[in-house]
Amino acid sequence: MDQDQQLIVQLKKGKMKAFQKLVEKYKKPAFFIALGLVGNRDDAYDLSQEAFIRVYANMRKLNPKLKFFSWFYTILSNLCKNHLRKMAVRKNYIKSSMANTEMKHLKQRALSPDVLVEKNEIALRLWEEIKKLPFEFKEIILLKHFQGFSYKEISEMLNIPMGSVMSRLYYARKKLKDNLKDVFN
Amino acid sequence: MKCEEIKPHLMAYLDGEIEQEKKGEIEKHLSECESCRKEYQSFVKLKEVTNKMRFADLSDELWAGYWKRIYRRIERGTGWILLSIGAIILLSFGVYQFFKEFLLDPYVSLIVKVGVSIFALGAIILLVSIIRERLFLFKTERYGEVEK
Ligand SMILES: [Zn+2]
Repeated sequence: MDQDQQLIVQLKKGKMKAFQKLVEKYKKPAFFIALGLVGNRDDAYDLSQEAFIRVYANMRKLNPKLKFFSWFYTILSNLCKNHLRKMAVRKNYIKSSMANTEMKHLKQRALSPDVLVEKNEIALRLWEEIKKLPFEFKEIILLKHFQGFSYKEISEMLNIPMGSVMSRLYYARKKLKDNLKDVFN
Repeated sequence: MKCEEIKPHLMAYLDGEIEQEKKGEIEKHLSECESCRKEYQSFVKLKEVTNKMRFADLSDELWAGYWKRIYRRIERGTGWILLSIGAIILLSFGVYQFFKEFLLDPYVSLIVKVGVSIFALGAIILLVSIIRERLFLFKTERYGEVEK
């Protein structure tokens, strides 16, 4: 049994200490994946914590034989997807009701320039374009580039075959590259 | 191999995940096909740019408080549930005691008895519904697809 499996066995016995260890081990990837998916630090902090709380609430369903992080990722990405959907609805609603200050506030949130380390033009542009990608493209770019997961790990996390990892990555990168054409030339 | 078949494997080649036996094939195709070579080069460039983009880290305080905040939220959730269950038990007992005397009292008119009973029933339904909402908030949706 590897370390995660032991922790999961302990967690299922109700050991809070084991749960704490899992949280400490995975809090950073959890936060940064959420940040990439929703693009806002406050929301990413909340959503990643919410995902851990759901793990705790559903620990009976945890299977020590399966990879913890791929299970966790499914919960996290669903939370982020729902969050984005809610934000989109809110945006539309506000747009239609013409509340300008609210709109400005939402735009500011979406921009959140504090997300990146270097604020050079290319990095900011790239980040803008990544945020605009469809969810499935965005997540695979984030998992590969920013988290450095292997194809095998990605295939477990997204529950798709290796061939699909490659082709999805191809189409995601192609779209990103095409949208950034002006930067590259 | 045709260009279309090669393309997804360009990713594996780029990310160093290519199988040894495919590697030669890809390299051969890249040396012969200009359009694939050009595309591959632009992917290399994209990768360079993306590798330079970094998300800013959170402050040490926020990281230090991360677990504490989760723990507090779980603790509160549990506290809420226990509090609610206790409240229901006490309340039901009180209601039961009250009705035992109230409904058997021959001096209270029937219409008042009916009114009070319905009122109490409504209050209980509301309470139960709030508690159920709390409980379900704790374990929501979509776990079906999580169990692979
Ligand atoms: Zn070709």
